[in-house]
Amino acid sequence: MNTQTQTTLEEAKHPIRLNGPARMLRTLLNGLYKGCGAIAALFLLVLLFIIIGQMVARWLGVQFPGSANYAGYCMAAASFFALAYTLNNNAHIRVTLFLSKMSGAARHLGDLWCLGIACFLSSYLAFYACKNVYISHMIHDISQGQDAMPLWIPQVPVAIGSVVFAIALLDHFIRTLLFKDDTFAEDHHVEGEEF
Amino acid sequence: MNEALATGIFVFTLFFLLGSGVWIGLALLGVAFVGMELFTTRPVGDAMITAIWSGSSGWSLTALPLFIWMGEILYRTRLSEDMFRGLAPWMSPLPGGLLHTNVVGSTIFAAVSGSSAATLTTVGKMSIPELTKRGYPEFMIFGTLVGSATLGLMIPPSLTLIVYGVTINESISKLFMAGILPGITLAIMFMAYVAAWSYFKPHQVPPAEPKMSLGQRIKESRFLIPVILLIGVVIGSIYTGTATATESAAFGVVGAMTLAIFQGSLTKATFIQSLMGATRTSCMIALILAGAAFLALAMGFTGLPSLAAEFIAGLELSPLTLILALMVFYIILGCFLDGISSVVLTMAVVEPMVRQAGIDLLWFGIFIVVVVEMAQITPPIGFNLFVLQGMTKKSIGYIARCAFPMFLIMIVMVGILITFPELATYLPENMRQRPG
Repeated sequence: MNTQTQTTLEEAKHPIRLNGPARMLRTLLNGLYKGCGAIAALFLLVLLFIIIGQMVARWLGVQFPGSANYAGYCMAAASFFALAYTLNNNAHIRVTLFLSKMSGAARHLGDLWCLGIACFLSSYLAFYACKNVYISHMIHDISQGQDAMPLWIPQVPVAIGSVVFAIALLDHFIRTLLFKDDTFAEDHHVEGEEF
Repeated sequence: MNEALATGIFVFTLFFLLGSGVWIGLALLGVAFVGMELFTTRPVGDAMITAIWSGSSGWSLTALPLFIWMGEILYRTRLSEDMFRGLAPWMSPLPGGLLHTNVVGSTIFAAVSGSSAATLTTVGKMSIPELTKRGYPEFMIFGTLVGSATLGLMIPPSLTLIVYGVTINESISKLFMAGILPGITLAIMFMAYVAAWSYFKPHQVPPAEPKMSLGQRIKESRFLIPVILLIGVVIGSIYTGTATATESAAFGVVGAMTLAIFQGSLTKATFIQSLMGATRTSCMIALILAGAAFLALAMGFTGLPSLAAEFIAGLELSPLTLILALMVFYIILGCFLDGISSVVLTMAVVEPMVRQAGIDLLWFGIFIVVVVEMAQITPPIGFNLFVLQGMTKKSIGYIARCAFPMFLIMIVMVGILITFPELATYLPENMRQRPG
């Protein structure tokens, strides 16, 4: 995204020229991942406010029914919305003991294997997360807690997050297959990363 | 299909997916998927999403992102400079001198952050150059730093303990309390090691620092005192039952932000960085926990946990032998996996065994954390070693040698924990607790 006709694949070391629709798609996808990360962060902020609200309510002797459930929903929403964003920052952990010893074609195959499996599993998860929303809505599943929330509502973020995660993995799979993808290189680390 | 073959395929899938480098959370999901397909005729996908939904939206998990966030905020303040300046005047009269700042600094930072990598960078950023400048031997600087940074895993708030508590449905507040005394004991043992070094190798000890009056000392540590107060409030509120673990975490976030505002280090940029850092780290752990929730369900169908429990019961091991066997097992596992992953991966099988043997699960949580800590400083996959390697550009082998004495101290710690289980169980039994 540095010039008008040229874009880099995230922070890839070898910029690849993308033109026309491909470039638009790239911009759109990167925006999608970052946007979902931002939404996840907002959910964490809401989570903090809910907990503070719960404490304040208790000190004032007021009821805040279902606060624990709402906090749980925020946690789930934040976790799933952030999946793709976390992946792009190389913050999901994996065992690289053997992978890092490989190079060249073997390494390429290893990367494709991991991404392929991950694509399958995340799509499977995304499919059932969506189906879950549909079923909860259909059978009018209501939370057992004090909040009495129709469960499909907090399950929507989980479904969206899983779908975006599956898209992101497919994106990386295609990029690894066709070009070169530096996102998961060992030296690609984000400052301040905890693990 | 025959049971043994199915079990074989299941275990092979586990090792293969994890070993080949599939992201751990997804690998656990895949293993559970294979297990369910092999052992049940139930609709797998629906069972999966039910397990994952209830595992990901639980109340007890909400403490995790908040404690991570608190650490992220303090990590971006001037804490590491303040830590060294504030501790140095108090530590220099002790035998072994300023090396104690590594141990005490790590203990303090461990009490605001749940991660040992963050503890290591925050304390080391300042203490490595300062101690080197004063002529302390590298071997001791690196060793004490890398060893005592592991306290981050044990002293509350500890991410590993939150994950353990969520996995086995144990109260996180109680687990936190259980970690305090063993954590302090371990810190004291590290300090004793430093003191012993200065006694046996007096020629390596650099000259003493100029003496300071009490007033001067307090003045130097004026920035550190608010942090210690914050720790006191966070841990104290859990112990007295004023707040649940999550509430104390929220308190910690607000307190950390207030501190950062007063220091002038909370800008829009650092706020966003800390929040996004917390989002990433908690998402990373949440994915592992989601996979683990499904794996726990699948494990139940495979019958492996009850099989393992019966096998252990059949051996008629003493609890002590079982504990020692598990210690070796976890150290080996820790050569390939990080602490949180090894806990979630194994608890479905280990929990019934431990219950069968009549071992207290609070105590076991602390035990497992100490063992996982050891794995952090042993090659080939010791996360703390990597972090220190990144900071100092020394070889992993050298850093691991520096850390080896600390590894031995931790083995002694396991011995102490086995001999005096009250060290872990006294505080949780005597705390007042709010339900939930």
